[in-house]
Amino acid sequence: MKMSDQELASAVRRASSVDSEAPPFGDVWSGAEQRYQRSRRRYSWFASAAAVVAVIAVVLNAGPTALHQGGYIEMVELMDSTSWAAPSDVLLPKYEFDIYQDLPTLMESTKPAEGALL
Amino acid sequence: MRDGDALENNPEVTRSALEAIHGQVFGWALSRCYYDQAAAEDLMQQAYVELLSGNARFDNQSSLQTFVFAVVQNLARSRYRRLASRLRLVKTFEATSLDRSAALAEPDHDTKNRDVAIWQYVQELAPRQRDIIELVFCREFTIEEASAVMGVTTGTGRVHYDRAKKALRRKIGDMHENE
Repeated sequence: MKMSDQELASAVRRASSVDSEAPPFGDVWSGAEQRYQRSRRRYSWFASAAAVVAVIAVVLNAGPTALHQGGYIEMVELMDSTSWAAPSDVLLPKYEFDIYQDLPTLMESTKPAEGALL
Repeated sequence: MRDGDALENNPEVTRSALEAIHGQVFGWALSRCYYDQAAAEDLMQQAYVELLSGNARFDNQSSLQTFVFAVVQNLARSRYRRLASRLRLVKTFEATSLDRSAALAEPDHDTKNRDVAIWQYVQELAPRQRDIIELVFCREFTIEEASAVMGVTTGTGRVHYDRAKKALRRKIGDMHENE
């Protein structure tokens, strides 16, 4: 005997014991709300703790540096650190580089080739 | 326009709408947790937390029921996998050792025992087949909606549905022959 889809569906539906004993919606909902509030509180606690740690780290890092510097900078150190030279400065005469004087002297050729000396 | 009891982080969801489908959703959660009441209640709470926080955001692409069922399904799959597999082992052992033997060992088993046996056959189906049978037969979802809940395409859902029906017919047919 072959069951039709409807017969099969009704047999399974009858056999299923679902939807029994669902807890009251209010109970589950209030539990969910409490859990949500707890997770939010935990998150905000972590965020504020991270902010406090960041502030402490900034204060601890900034303190010794300010003390070490003494509050002013030597002018000579400042000038040395701000010197600048153009990359093309290597072409200037102070490097004694003269392409016209440094031309190589070629040996005179005596062998002709196609009417010209090599 | 936002309803009075709409959720802050999920403006398309109202508390009253959730209350209306609570029983159905709980049945689904119960089934995801192998009929462990406490685990199902915990799963329901977590699903509502997902809706309250807006992690699961409903945008009217489907019905609210389909959406909430999918949230429960995904939570059960991700967070409750270990617990669910433990519960499945326990329940399968209990069911195999008690229910079906009680239902089938007696030569003149009554309607109740036959129902127990049929439900046992449903539970023995492959997980996807079992899910789609439960959604379509017991919760009156369409195959498209059931597929959306399960996170598979409609075509895949149809294949699972057909195979599940064939397997169930075969097992129930065997049961009738043994009667």
